[in-house]
Amino acid sequence: MIGRMKLGRVLPAALLATVFAACNRGADAAMKPTVALVVKTLNNQFFIDMEAGAKAAADSLGIELIVQAPEREIDVERQMQIVENLIQRNVKVLLLVPNGSKEIVPAVVKANAAKIPVVVVDTRVDAATLKADGGTITTFIGSDNEDGGRMAGAFLIDRLGGKAKVAVLEGVPGHETADARLRGFRKALAASPAMQIVASQPANMERDQAFNVTQNILQAHPDITALFACNDVMALGALEAIQAAGKASAISVVGFDAQDDARKAISEKRMAATIAQNPREMGRLAVLTASRLMKGVAVPSEQPVAISLVK
Amino acid sequence: MISRPTLRRIIAGREAGTACGLLVLCVGLWIATPYFATAANLTNVAEQSAIVGVIAIGMTFVILTGGIDLSVGSMVALAGIVIGTMLQRGMSVPMAVLAGLAAGVVAGALNGLMVTRGSLPPFIATLGMMSVARGAALMLSDGRPISGFPEGLRVLATSRLMGVPAPVVLMLALYLFAYLVLTRTVLGRYMYAIGGNEEATALAGVDVKLYKTLVYAISGLSAGLCAILLVARLNSAQPIAGIGYELDAIAAVVIGGTSLLGGSGSVIGTLIGALIMSVLRNGLNLLGVSSYLQQVAIGVVIIVAVLIDMALRRRVQRSTRGSA
Repeated sequence: MIGRMKLGRVLPAALLATVFAACNRGADAAMKPTVALVVKTLNNQFFIDMEAGAKAAADSLGIELIVQAPEREIDVERQMQIVENLIQRNVKVLLLVPNGSKEIVPAVVKANAAKIPVVVVDTRVDAATLKADGGTITTFIGSDNEDGGRMAGAFLIDRLGGKAKVAVLEGVPGHETADARLRGFRKALAASPAMQIVASQPANMERDQAFNVTQNILQAHPDITALFACNDVMALGALEAIQAAGKASAISVVGFDAQDDARKAISEKRMAATIAQNPREMGRLAVLTASRLMKGVAVPSEQPVAISLVK
Repeated sequence: MISRPTLRRIIAGREAGTACGLLVLCVGLWIATPYFATAANLTNVAEQSAIVGVIAIGMTFVILTGGIDLSVGSMVALAGIVIGTMLQRGMSVPMAVLAGLAAGVVAGALNGLMVTRGSLPPFIATLGMMSVARGAALMLSDGRPISGFPEGLRVLATSRLMGVPAPVVLMLALYLFAYLVLTRTVLGRYMYAIGGNEEATALAGVDVKLYKTLVYAISGLSAGLCAILLVARLNSAQPIAGIGYELDAIAAVVIGGTSLLGGSGSVIGTLIGALIMSVLRNGLNLLGVSSYLQQVAIGVVIIVAVLIDMALRRRVQRSTRGSA
């Protein structure tokens, strides 16, 4: 009877193993150099666009590209596991969008130890933590997020004549990208004292959380006329809550990332503006950088990607 | 009732089956990718399994008694933040670690009291604690991660004992201890008895409330132990850490053959279950399988494992009825 039990367990596992083996038919392409791109999550259009840009570049350069991400944007430990696993996979270059600027440092140090160059994309690694642990990154590719936050602030000041009650949806607390946007936005508003931030709450970059947080903010501050969200996903969630409260015409919503849905909302006059980063270009430039590194060509330590206001 | 030797044989059979599943998975990956079966990668997989592996011990105990603990992920965050806050305030590493463990034990014991004294269903009590502990972690930390810890803490994740990473050593030691508790102590025997038939156990004069409370406190303790490893590994304590860990832990327990109805199962099965999950994720990363497909694969493994478990259960019931 135990033998039959074993069979019961073994069969599905064997089936799965076969499936994996089938998944690995790409092995005949093993001659191509392999580069890994690890992003924050693939539930966000921004990173899907980045993946598309990177894949297109990899195809044209003859590079085998592996794209991986944790299921949740906030899962720093899972991202560390993925990096550890890809180090074992002997990838030639690691392109990394860290979930946690400090938390990713031990993984970067492990890649350094395996002599895999680390290219950081979009979100910076905390410089002090990196230095303390003796880690190095080869180059940073990304937008100036603080400048983007400043652009968003300047736009709202201009649009509302320098006087407004403003609500802010923050990102995941302690995460560098959203923090930089917030910093820039606050600096811009500090110049106009009549622009008053009456509520500033985290909604963790998620749409449903943004919806709920905005509903709550509207209960406490029904007189806000502007809302800045640190990404479009939250801006769109806020937009729904604002529409549900019947205040769509009264509140100017500004997001960040210029996703397709946000651009559509802007063209339909439901949303005021968004800041366009160029994730496709980031992906392309990251893979191009990997290709240069593999050829031994030097790359600059900072590679900015253009940013712009979409209204 | 099933006699004890029979019971032992069934459990042994089940573990052997799960172990075979793990073995086949490993052989499949060994064939599929040259990067899997290297010493460095296998060490890496073992290390990665430690985080969920440790909380799965407490979860096994809780599930054996017929309960469930949904709050483990939040308790990991709370214990981690307590450790981080204490270190930030200049407390020594051993004291901070003890404070973190105490936070886990207290939260776990509260779960136990809500279940036993408040007669709340475990699902509801721990669902509440899931939110309370998460909120407490966010309040203590103002929602921000605490980073940068002394070497004395970080060695718990980075050091190696004869080539074996410290988290693996700790995990294996804890599993050995839990195995001895379950098979050689009164507490262990009572856990199976409570899960098998709580009323009969109480009628036999066992203080069921006490032992059940203890079991939830142990689950809090294992969440605290997990928090130590996590904080040391990331060099950062995060109030949003551990989200979804309860599901990973439950999956490891269930894949390991422990019944969600309580009364049957083992920690060895759970260890193998945790390893299966880690090997699967590692293998899917090595093969470069899309992130979306990875989630599907893990879900399929859980479902298949439970399906087999239920089929086995029915067969065992039929055969024992035949022999009785």
